[in-house]
Amino acid sequence: MGTPPPPDVLLDVRDLRTYFRVMDGTVPAVDGVSFQVHRGETLGVVGESGCGKSVTALTIMRLIETPPGEIVGGEVWFNGRDILTLSSDEMLQVRGAEMAMIFQEPMTSLNPVLTIGDQIAEAVVAHKKVGHKAAWDRAIEMLQLVGIPEAQRRVKQHPHELSGGMRQRVMIALALSCDPKLLIADEPTTALDVTIQAQILELIRRVQEETGTALLLITHDLGVVAETVQRVVVMYAGKVVETGTVDEVLQDPKHPYTEGLLASIPSQGLRGTRLNVIRGSIPNPFRMPVGCRFAPRCPYAFDPCRDHEPPLEGPGDGDRRVACWLHSRPPFGIEHRPRYGTSTATALAQRTAGVAS
Amino acid sequence: MTQYIVRRVIQAIPVLFLISVVSFVLMMQAPGGPAAQFNQNPHISPAQINKWLADWCLVRQPTVMDTVREYLGWLGVWNCTGGSFLSAHGLPNFLPAFLGGGTNGILHGDFGYSIETGQPVLQMILARLPATLILMGTAFVLWATIAILAGVLAAVKRYSFFDQSVTFVSYVFYSLPTFWLGLILIFIFGVTLRWFPVQGIVNVRNTPAPFATSAYWAAFAANPLPYLYDIGAHLVLPVVTLIAVSIAGDSRFVRSAMLDSLHQDYVRTARAKGISERQVIVRHAFRNAMLPILTNLALEIAFLFSGAIVTETVFSWPGMGRLYYDGVNARDYFLLMGILLIGSVLVVVMNLVADIAYAIADPRIRYD
Ligand SMILES: Nc1ncnc2c1ncn2[C@@H]1O[C@H](COP(=O)(O)OP(=O)(O)OP(=O)(O)O)[C@@H](O)[C@H]1O
Ligand SMILES: [Mg+2]
Repeated sequence: MGTPPPPDVLLDVRDLRTYFRVMDGTVPAVDGVSFQVHRGETLGVVGESGCGKSVTALTIMRLIETPPGEIVGGEVWFNGRDILTLSSDEMLQVRGAEMAMIFQEPMTSLNPVLTIGDQIAEAVVAHKKVGHKAAWDRAIEMLQLVGIPEAQRRVKQHPHELSGGMRQRVMIALALSCDPKLLIADEPTTALDVTIQAQILELIRRVQEETGTALLLITHDLGVVAETVQRVVVMYAGKVVETGTVDEVLQDPKHPYTEGLLASIPSQGLRGTRLNVIRGSIPNPFRMPVGCRFAPRCPYAFDPCRDHEPPLEGPGDGDRRVACWLHSRPPFGIEHRPRYGTSTATALAQRTAGVAS
Repeated sequence: MTQYIVRRVIQAIPVLFLISVVSFVLMMQAPGGPAAQFNQNPHISPAQINKWLADWCLVRQPTVMDTVREYLGWLGVWNCTGGSFLSAHGLPNFLPAFLGGGTNGILHGDFGYSIETGQPVLQMILARLPATLILMGTAFVLWATIAILAGVLAAVKRYSFFDQSVTFVSYVFYSLPTFWLGLILIFIFGVTLRWFPVQGIVNVRNTPAPFATSAYWAAFAANPLPYLYDIGAHLVLPVVTLIAVSIAGDSRFVRSAMLDSLHQDYVRTARAKGISERQVIVRHAFRNAMLPILTNLALEIAFLFSGAIVTETVFSWPGMGRLYYDGVNARDYFLLMGILLIGSVLVVVMNLVADIAYAIADPRIRYD
């Protein structure tokens, strides 16, 4: 068993593995993910669809349905203890109280037959040990906090009487109703209109500042990342490929996948030119590549990439980490001379300049 | 809400009219006809027959117009003796008698007379109503409770031994015909093992008077326990016969409705709140699964009624179903039409109740 992280680290995920056992085999949805969230900090998790962002979040909340899912390894240190070792009863005290989650689909995430107030008050009664009246008042207070007009009236309404944006506000109010230390937001704006998206993000930023809760923001929108978070975790096919502060990662991406993600953002100045998308698609989860999982799509891949998994390690000091052979010393006995096509030669020369020495 | 209920009740009225038209036309188009049946009864004189035929607007060789008049007379809109839409008081015939309307027809509570016994049809049906209500009420409560409990548990403990057992038993019962199941139950538990009585609703040797007579109820009220026990013992086999097949189907339905709602996003939200699993299942998953279940229960009430005809016949249960069966054998036209109509009214009323329950359970239903 591991040792607890320092007290300023609120969440320490270590080598987390969550697999789904389905008819056709095993899906390693999360396969050795590690990262930390400090108290009050905002961490962004990015990656394309299917790379395991939601499964990571649900695993931290211990909401993975078993079967088919199973947490097969790792540790999740949260507020001083490894919550993977808690019983499901003990977990009830943590979930909703110390950590809370907002989901991607505001339209379906609220119970259609209960009032908004009932749904918020229910959580408050469960964790705050207060009566129904106090919990109901708390619900109104929370609705006011998230900027819902006429909270007194809205609290008695059912979800179908609210728009998608309003429902997401309710979800935020619900999540924050018991003063959690960590708020996990899984693509909270993906299902909303663009104008509403900005409002909801602004709201999340504001309430996070006001309440001082730490935020784990899952998104595949790098623009959102740039505006909202302090540090970023880039995931690919169930693994972390790069982490660092938002400036480091966005200004100077080290992993070819991160570089590809950044290049694929449509930009104003390049209107009319072809979008620079990453070729290919995420690997078949039943037949994950042996070496680096990105190798089949990587323009810079060379021999070691296909046979050996690159470790997630720092190219220098600090919290910067990247899992790529371009930036790591390759395993002993492997010749470190990339084979490459001429088209990528320049880029590669730049990349490898500091590493091969 | 009140407005919604009133509107649903008003909407039920045309449905009932349609049902009365269909049951009348179907019965009257059946070969023979009341007049032919009267002729076969040696106890009534031709003069009496002619008077009755006239009372109910019946014609021996009816044209289409005659049939319409027969229907309107049976309904109570047409005054048969006076031959007009007006009553003897000169007011519209469909009005209640105390407002100056007529006295004939079902609108005035006159369902006609049984051709077989000569008794008023309504009186015969009402005499049989308690037995049917006891059977159906017990069956319905047990049916809904067992199907819901088994289905919910099977869904919550999916793929467990319990779930597999429920699945297995369901498929066995689902493939059995009701009448055959009844006969087998009689053979095993009645005749061979002698655990349960197989006929009637009470043990006639131990009761002072036939079931549902006032003497019976007086004795019942004085000392209810042995009487309840007696009825309970008689209920076992018919109730099992009546509901086994339905429970088999409905527990599957409840299971899938429950599985469906257990996988909804709001159930995940509920779990994320850190409330107990029991609350998640009852308040969130089941509360939503209840909606399709209610609809399904309402639909199946009609099946319960038709099942009662077979079951009451097999077990000689003195209820409306048995009366209907006897009525068919005797070609007792007015009796059959009366039972059809009262049965339909009961089904419509229960559907109405289910609709209203649904509206209460689902806030998304708009009342206006
Ligand atoms: N219940 C499940 N059963 C089987 N496989 C699952 C299940 N849930 C997730 N997976 C698999 O796990 C992998 C990761 O899924 P996940 O939902 O975490 O992706 P994501 O990064 O959140 O993508 P998105 O951006 O689309 O939300 C996917 O390959 C998915 O097929
Ligand atoms: Mg997701």
